[in-house]
Amino acid sequence: MTEDQKQDARFADRALASLPATAVPSALEARILADFDHVAARRAPGTLSRIFNRWRDAVWPSAPVWKPASVLAASLVIGVMAGALVPASDFASNASTSTTSSDQQYAAGDAPPVVNMAGDL
Amino acid sequence: MRATGLDAALKFDPDTELVARVGKGDRAAAQALMARHLPGMLRLARRMLSSQAEAEDCVQDAFLKLWTHAGHWKPGQAKFQTWLYRVTMNQCYDRLRKRPNLGLDAAAEVADLAPAADTVLVSAGVAVEVEAALQNLPERQRAAILLCHYQELGNVEASEILGVSVEALESLLARGRRTLRSKLSHLRNP
Repeated sequence: MTEDQKQDARFADRALASLPATAVPSALEARILADFDHVAARRAPGTLSRIFNRWRDAVWPSAPVWKPASVLAASLVIGVMAGALVPASDFASNASTSTTSSDQQYAAGDAPPVVNMAGDL
Repeated sequence: MRATGLDAALKFDPDTELVARVGKGDRAAAQALMARHLPGMLRLARRMLSSQAEAEDCVQDAFLKLWTHAGHWKPGQAKFQTWLYRVTMNQCYDRLRKRPNLGLDAAAEVADLAPAADTVLVSAGVAVEVEAALQNLPERQRAAILLCHYQELGNVEASEILGVSVEALESLLARGRRTLRSKLSHLRNP
């Protein structure tokens, strides 16, 4: 820096030192803090989110959200796939077969034992 | 040399903890950050824009950006104060560009008309002349002068705020100081 430039710098220092101080109005502080409150309120979780978080803590305490959500999603997918792939007739036939055999078992159980008294004697 | 200075500044950034707390919604931390930086930001914006009302709006917008982005702040990338002053400076540039182009003479007249002529003290008159001379500087030169001579920041930090190299900042400073001195040459001892 040359001597001339140094003089320019000193002049700038003195010139800017003559400028009056800028006071901070309390209304401006209040406006800025009101903005903060607004942003903080927007960032806070809503009712639905709070309910979801409570459910998550009950199901899987201190787990990240994606864990219970992915297990729930996987169980849904498995359920839907099973419903779509397994034919409804299989369920119907299984159900009727099992009902008939159990009826027969009960019928057999309820009938009085057939005893050939003559043969035994 | 520059990297070393920056590294040291980043390591001892006094605002990091407060910014993290603000990101979590801590109001007391927000108040502390505001108390620390608001006066300097308002001074800078006031001198850049030569309007108290616009400077207040500008600073409010800068803080709104801070409140919104504090949760994503990553310490170590930049010094917080540098980022905040850069945001403030960009807000000032935006407002200056939205203004109708008055030309240099008109700008000087606007600045001259600010105080009531009858009640101006000598020192206030000097301040008005200095303010008018500042407003006549190109905005980059004015920003450089204000950051280094008014906010008393170092060249490295000022260059970071303006997004230029230290050499480019020194060039802006040299031209700005020279113009300021020639415009105010009638004031022997401002």
